[in-house]
Formats: sequence, structure tokens, C-alpha cells
Amino acid sequence: MPSVTFDHVTKRFNDVTIVEDFNLQVADGELLVLVGGSGSGKSTILRLVAGLEAVTSGSIRLGDTDITERAPRDRDVAMVFQDYALYPHLSVRENLSLGLRIRRVPKEEVSRRVAWAVDMLGLTELLDRKPKQLSGGQRQRVAMGRAMVREPSAFLFDEPLSNLDAGLRAQMRMEIGALQRRLHTTTIYVTHDQVEAMTLGDRIVVLSSGRVQQIGKPIDLYRAPANRFVAGFIGSPPMNFIEGALERADEMTWFVSDGMRIALAGVSAAGLTRREVTLGIRPDDLRMTFPSSGAAVEDGSIRGRVALVERLGGSSHMHVHAGSLRILAVVTALELPAVDDVIDLLILPQRVHVFAPDGQAIAIQG
Amino acid sequence: MRRAGRVALYLALALAALTFIYPFLWMASSTLKPPGEVGTLALIPDHATFQNYRIMWSRAPFGRALLNSVFVATSVTVAVLILGSITAYAMARLTFPGRHALNLATTAVLLVPGQLTLIPLYTLVVQLGWIDSYSALIIPYLFNATAILMLRQFFLQIPQSLVDSARMDGMSELRILFSIFWPLARPPLAIVAIFTFMGSWNEVLWPLLVVRDQRIMTLPQLLTVFALGGGAGTLGVSLAAAMVLVVPVVIAYMFLQRFFIESMAGAGVKG
Repeated sequence: MPSVTFDHVTKRFNDVTIVEDFNLQVADGELLVLVGGSGSGKSTILRLVAGLEAVTSGSIRLGDTDITERAPRDRDVAMVFQDYALYPHLSVRENLSLGLRIRRVPKEEVSRRVAWAVDMLGLTELLDRKPKQLSGGQRQRVAMGRAMVREPSAFLFDEPLSNLDAGLRAQMRMEIGALQRRLHTTTIYVTHDQVEAMTLGDRIVVLSSGRVQQIGKPIDLYRAPANRFVAGFIGSPPMNFIEGALERADEMTWFVSDGMRIALAGVSAAGLTRREVTLGIRPDDLRMTFPSSGAAVEDGSIRGRVALVERLGGSSHMHVHAGSLRILAVVTALELPAVDDVIDLLILPQRVHVFAPDGQAIAIQG
Repeated sequence: MRRAGRVALYLALALAALTFIYPFLWMASSTLKPPGEVGTLALIPDHATFQNYRIMWSRAPFGRALLNSVFVATSVTVAVLILGSITAYAMARLTFPGRHALNLATTAVLLVPGQLTLIPLYTLVVQLGWIDSYSALIIPYLFNATAILMLRQFFLQIPQSLVDSARMDGMSELRILFSIFWPLARPPLAIVAIFTFMGSWNEVLWPLLVVRDQRIMTLPQLLTVFALGGGAGTLGVSLAAAMVLVVPVVIAYMFLQRFFIESMAGAGVKG
């Protein structure tokens, strides 16, 4: 299977830049996830690969072939659409085979490929049904089958799971992942859902306003987000951000904010006097303790009042107000405080992230 | 109380239906009446006869006119469906310079009353030497702004992803139109077909202007010439000619009725 290469790809509609100087090589057999909010340009990138939109400048290669100027039908890529885009008046069988018949694939070969896809996706019973008579998950499978029978060089998935309910979404997510590993077809997968991105992607590209924020393995994006946008986007529930400043005291670098301070071991602070920064801490990296009455808040902790407790069963989401700060902590303790109780949240110092005012991460050794 | 209301409602509806259907039934029965009976309001003729039809058929070439009407109306309808949907598809789904202007121009055509274009169109047809030919009856009607706008409106509702998907499957734009859009657009296409066919079938003024040769005349034209020109002689014969005009439209309507009601009722057809 060939790779997909983006070389300085830019897309503008009139004067609006949708995708800005996008460079990337999707490796042979890789499942690459493009993730971002609406308007991030992720779907546009997919449509550029499909040939449904024309690039403004730059080029796209499939293997060694430049496909930038080719018509969609000459690109050897297949796409799965968000609304499945099945032909409503055709049966499942016809939906699967139409693309092949148009390409004048011999009849026996069409039957062989349809049978193969149908078998793999468990659609045998549904071959003569119309899309209207299928459930969401079944339509999704037919849409994948239609892409599979083409035996394309690359798959393009455009938010394929967003029309499904939560349970089915999790199941189809696993199926897509398993299918892609089995077929080993180079795949670009677009989603706004960071859980899909984390669980499916060999690598993730985080996009915002048409610009790449970070490219990397899911766990690297989670552990070492390159900037505040990625930090807030990857991870659920999202990271807490605390505005404050770095200060030098007692031969150490401290992060200082209203009513709290925490020592940061790894921040190089040579020549540092004072610097405005944002501290990021994931809700899972806070530990809850109950302060004994009258005790001062310890370094590395935030003292606050419990505003809301959401019990999820295995864990609970604690919404804590500390002055003007709003902190979310995920705790697994069985004994939970009541609303309006005062608690301390201990920050695990090796898990904090520090961002400069421009949003870029400041390296710390945890 | 509610039951009484229902009965009253149905009585009123039945009365209204009767006022619509009575003149038609009266016309149908009168064609079968001998001249002395035509003036009566009765629906069942005392002495039924096909005399009126025989007289009508012998005095003017109504058979030929019927064929002419079928030919002209069918040609116009087929052309409006094909050319109209191609134009509507381009306006709805393709980007090209002047698309917006084309939209405006098509809408503007609706604002111009047909009578206004009659004289320039007539002059044009004379210049082209189309007087007394089928061309004069068919070609000016090949494009229909109403049909284009109606189909465009429907095509705009078809999800873009279907077009994208078809393009990636390797279909040409024409193939997308005829093998994806047409099956989905059956109700609006049927509406356009019915209106176009009936419009063309009932047209009298234009044929009167451009056709003088009886062999080219359409049924309503020949009927008008025949009845107004005194060729019919009696009312019964005139009504018989009118029957010949009406029956094919009624039959066509009966076949297409399902689509007609479907598209009137279900404007929100989902893909």
C-alpha cells in the first residue's frame, strides 16, 4: 500500500484560508487521525485527498504518483462519509457493486469482492435490503463495504461514527480499528472526537484554524502536548488551566497563583525573575485530601470548596471552586465530601504542564 | 353532536364536489344526446347516439389533430424534463462563472408575462420560416423556467455527500443526474411532466398564430377553429370535440395521480 504525502498544501476559499501550509507523510498502512474542532480544516484536507476540492497550492502524492490534479474517480482512494451517502434507491448489493461496475470490473471479480466484503462485515442477510431498512450501524458497515470492494490504495473516513449513538459508536470504533489492521490499508480518519482519535490513531494530527498544532502518537500528545490548545483538546475530561507566574525562591522555581504555589523541579530558571505562565494539570492528576481544621494549605495543593460532585460509579468528578479558580478533579475515593465541604487537591508535580503566554509548552523534566 | 357535525361537513363537501363534477358529466352525456335533447339538464340521454362524434369526425381531421397534440405535448414534456433537469443540476451542483447570473435570469423569466413575448417570438418564428411546422409548436417550449427552478430547488435538497460519493465511484455528472438524482426526484419530475403536458396540450393562442395548415393543427386549435368557425353546426358536435380534447388528459392524470398527490403532500422527501 502506498503512502499519502502532503507537500505544502494550502486551501483558500475566496480570501479565507481553510488549510495553511500542510505538510505530512501518512506512512504505508498507517491509520492517521486528523482531529480538531469545527472549522479546523480537517474535513477539507480529506476532501482535498479525495479530489472533491481543489488545492490552492501545494501537491498531494499517493505513493510516487502526484494526484493533485486528478479527478476523484482517477485517484484510487475510497471514502466513507459521515451520513454514509448510500444510494437510497439501490439495494445493499447494488450499493456495494455499483462503483465496480462503473469501472468495468469483470462480473466474477465483482461478485468475489462483494462476497468477501459482505462476509467480513456480516452483511449477508441484508444484501437485498434498501438503506432505509437498515439500522445506523448496518448502514455504516455497508458504507465501509463500499469502500472496501474498491480495494483502494487509501481509505478516507469523514467522521464516520458521529451519527451513531454512544454504545454503537464504541462498537463500530473497534470494528473499524480491527478492519484497518487486517486490511493494512493506509487510512486517514477525520473526527472531532478525541476519544476516537486516541483509541484508533497510530498517529494523531491536531488541527486548529487550518494549522497543525501537533503531530504524534496518541500517548505522546497526551503526555507532552506541544501547546495549550492540544493540552485542552486531548484528554477527557479536559485539562485544568491555572493562570499564574514562575518565580525564583529558595533556590527553586515556583509556580505561584492565588492562594497556592508549587515547586517545579525541572524548569530551567536561570536568569528568571518573573514570568507569566499557565499551569496545566489533568483532572486525573489531582489527589483529594481532607484538611484538618485550622491547618494552612500546603505547597503543591489547592484548597477549595466543593461545588458539585458527579458520581460516575467507578470514579467521580469533583467540581471545586478555589477563589476565582474552577478546578475539576477525577477521584476514585469511595468516601466523597459533600457540597460546600472544604478540601485540598494535591497536584502531582511531575504531571504538570507549563505554557508560555503564547500557548507554547515550556519543557519541564518530570 | 360531533356526529351531526361530521354529517353536515360531508354533505357540504359532497355538494361542492357535485358543483365541480356536474358540468363535466353534463358535457359527457350531452355528446351522446340527439340535437333536440342537448338543451336539457338531464344527465342520462333518452336516446343515446354517437351521431355527434360521427359528424365531428367527418367534418374536420380530428384524428390527425389528436396525433399532432400527442406528438407535440410529448416532445415538449420529454424535452422539458431532460433539458430542464440538466440545467437545474448545473445550477444546483456545479460551480461555473455566471452561475449566479443564470439563476437571476431564470427567475426573471417568470416575471415576464407570456403575452409580452408573443409578438417578438412570432416575428422570430416567421424569420426562421417555421410557420406551419411542428418546430413552431415545439421548439419555443423546450426550456421552461418554472420547471428548471422547481427541479433545482429539489436537487438542492439532495445531500452533497451523495454527489461526492458518486463522483468517487466514477460516475460522470450526467450519470449522477440520471441514475442518482432522477430516481430520487420522481415526485417533482412527475409534477413537472403533468404541468408541462397539460400546458402544452391546452395551448390554443400560440398554435392559432403560427399554424394555419389543418394538417399541423393540434386538437384544441382545430376544435376552436371548428367550433368558432361554425363548422360544428350544433352544440352536441362542439361538445363531442371538447370530449376528445379532455379525455386523454384525464387518463394521463389518473395514471400520474399518485405522484401528483405525493409531491403536493410530501415536500420534505428525505434521501
